[in-house]
Amino acid sequence: MSEKQLQSTVAAGAYQKEWFAQLRRDVFESHRPYAILQADMPFEIFQVMGLPAVSNQWWSAVISAKRLAPKYLDAMNAMGFHDGLCRYCSLSMACTLADDPGEAPWGGLPKPAMIAARLTCDCIQRVFSIWSEALGTEFFALDNPGATELPPRWWELSRHRWRELFEQHRLDLTVAQFRVLIRTLERITGRAFDRAALRTLMEGVNRQEEYFEEVRELICNAPKTPVRMNEQITNVMAAQWLRGSEWAIQHAKNFRDEVKARVDAGIAAYPGERRRLMWVGAGLWHDTDFYTAFEQKHGAVFVWSMYLAFGPDGYIRYGLEDPLEALASRTVSMNEQLHMPPWANEWIVDQAKRHRIDGALVLTPLGTRPSATGNRFIERALERAGIPVLPVFADMVDPRNWNAAKMVERVGRFIEERL
Amino acid sequence: MPESNSAASQLAWHYENPMAQAMEAHRAGVPVVGLTSNTVPSELIRAAGFFPVMLRPAQCATPAADEFMEKNVFQARIRQIFESAVGGELDFLRAIVLSRTSEQEYKLFLYLREVAREGSRDGMPPVYLYGLLHSQSAETHAYGISRTEELKRQLEEIAGRPIAARDIAEAVVESNAARAAVRRVLRLREGVPRLSGTEALPLIGAYWLMARAEYAKLASEAADNFERGGPLPGARLIVKGAPLDHVRLHATLESHGAIVVAEDDWWGTRSVGVDISANGDAVKAIFDHYYLDAPSPRVFPPDAADRWFESHVRKGVDGVVFYLPPEDYVLGWDYPRQKRFLEKLGIPSLIVREDSGAEKLSAESHESIERFVKEIARKR
Ligand code: SF4
Ligand code: SF4
Repeated sequence: MSEKQLQSTVAAGAYQKEWFAQLRRDVFESHRPYAILQADMPFEIFQVMGLPAVSNQWWSAVISAKRLAPKYLDAMNAMGFHDGLCRYCSLSMACTLADDPGEAPWGGLPKPAMIAARLTCDCIQRVFSIWSEALGTEFFALDNPGATELPPRWWELSRHRWRELFEQHRLDLTVAQFRVLIRTLERITGRAFDRAALRTLMEGVNRQEEYFEEVRELICNAPKTPVRMNEQITNVMAAQWLRGSEWAIQHAKNFRDEVKARVDAGIAAYPGERRRLMWVGAGLWHDTDFYTAFEQKHGAVFVWSMYLAFGPDGYIRYGLEDPLEALASRTVSMNEQLHMPPWANEWIVDQAKRHRIDGALVLTPLGTRPSATGNRFIERALERAGIPVLPVFADMVDPRNWNAAKMVERVGRFIEERL
Repeated sequence: MPESNSAASQLAWHYENPMAQAMEAHRAGVPVVGLTSNTVPSELIRAAGFFPVMLRPAQCATPAADEFMEKNVFQARIRQIFESAVGGELDFLRAIVLSRTSEQEYKLFLYLREVAREGSRDGMPPVYLYGLLHSQSAETHAYGISRTEELKRQLEEIAGRPIAARDIAEAVVESNAARAAVRRVLRLREGVPRLSGTEALPLIGAYWLMARAEYAKLASEAADNFERGGPLPGARLIVKGAPLDHVRLHATLESHGAIVVAEDDWWGTRSVGVDISANGDAVKAIFDHYYLDAPSPRVFPPDAADRWFESHVRKGVDGVVFYLPPEDYVLGWDYPRQKRFLEKLGIPSLIVREDSGAEKLSAESHESIERFVKEIARKR
């Protein structure tokens, strides 16, 4: 990403780099264990157990930003995995299979003590099984019960009435699986699980997400967005991976303070903002400059992505007497909330209205086909709400079929003709 | 070959006319419930007094699916089910029961719910999700039992009456008899086969579409007839990959001189598996059958998923054809591992990546199949 307008963004990037370097030192020099997790795993449990965790999707984005994805994916295809398979979740594994620490970002991921995933799509159990075999490490799978009752306006129920929202049978199964996970982590770390510590951490997560909510409100209400979408993502995600930790809470607060100061001072991310765009879907990690490409010519600024907005609505849980159950409620339905009808479409339309969005780009990820589902419902709902949609067919991490100039032109036309 | 009104041709007719018996039942006043896969316990549906039928709509244009379903993500059969539900063809069903054993079915469940909620189409049958999870652990096992109880409760609600233990026992006996008939057909494919794959698939597939007692009678009769036939020469193949609910790939392979002796999918050899136990808690026994024995893309860990394939290959086969059509994004992850397994045993394999469902396979595919079959025939 080119320009960084916020101090927080610089701090987030620096902290992440240092955190990772420390992890490598701990793992290589002190032989401390760590874990690799799918993004929707309960990082909170790993944190209270003192087992550092790296997110698979984050690592995938790092590889992609270093433009190494084509090489690794080609190598994976050459091993017999056909090119119609998912790339977002498999890129980190491809990096392991390529086995070239000299070239991998920051020297590559050291061997983890475990890798873990929630079984959302049908492919992820496969990707992680292959990966665990290549790494010679264990794979912990959390199975994913389907939602059968999906009441309207979930974000109004998720903070206080989460027990009703997420169906008791799903919560119970998830808690039962958490208990097995905890036993596994106790074995790996040699530590005992501390329930009170989890509760304290969950309270910390609430505080952190409340700061993010304030940022979201500032963005909704300021005449022009005070912070670009790119910088929102960097700040939010750096804290989300370590959510509830002291650093993460403090970072969220600093971020809030800085954004607020900008709003108070009347500073806009792009003073020429005339149109507000939303990006629906995971980030386009191989070309984040794309998100600022429409400012000068069209006065169009990306204001919204799920990364900041989902923080408060998806993570805050009040009523933490049973922290494991509350955590289960946070974990169990992320996919439905972000991608599946009716929850995703309803929420995104609501967000679009609150953020005064003029037009939406909806990503249908080509190389990650099951993640593309639910999109037609989102697009239809947005259009029905009077928000023009441009579907974008591209991959989050694989630039091989991405023609930046052509896309910029297409989006430019969309802005001029429909907004 | 069977004569035109033979048991085999009657089964084949039902295979080609998948809704025929369901419509008949409906006209006779028996409510019909549609299922979307092999992992929905049809015995419970039967015990509730419904006629269970596997949904397998004919291939036709899919304007509604094109509007709501992302391209290149859903299998052709799932798209067709969506199309026929939204298009009104399935309005006569009392309900549709889907299973959590594939991501596609789960999403189909959510999509159909949403179309109904949006109100863009009235009269669609209600959809239910059977929460069977196929990763193997004590937790998913306990969960599955409770979800099977829940399905029973839901069926009772639809039926407006409780399901008696006797009804469940009878439904189990009836479907076990049909299972035994399927296994008789399958035995004709073992060792030196007496039945081609192209002939076998309709005989097996009709199981999903007919009243079980009638099916059992016809399938046993068909097996008797084929038993009297002579052995079939040719290289023996296993087909593995996306479930095949049609005979076109088999016909192509067999037109080149091979014989398909098994499929690692539920429209073929793995349709019925072992019997449901008649001892102990009936609901648990039904659940255990679908949990432990039915194949699905979500069976985990990989050893459990590969078990059938590996043991079947070891029983003796000349080659394996992996069928991974362009829409595949799941089974392709397993392919290198399974290919390595075959290589260790010195068993040749071929991968078919074209869609064998709609049109004819291309000339290149025909050529590679021909070469493959010749090569393994030479080695035998
Ligand atoms: S479908 Fe989504 S979760 Fe599954 S492997 Fe692909 S990107 Fe990952
Ligand atoms: S893209 Fe969606 S499903 Fe994939 S990791 Fe992100 S939130 Fe989860």
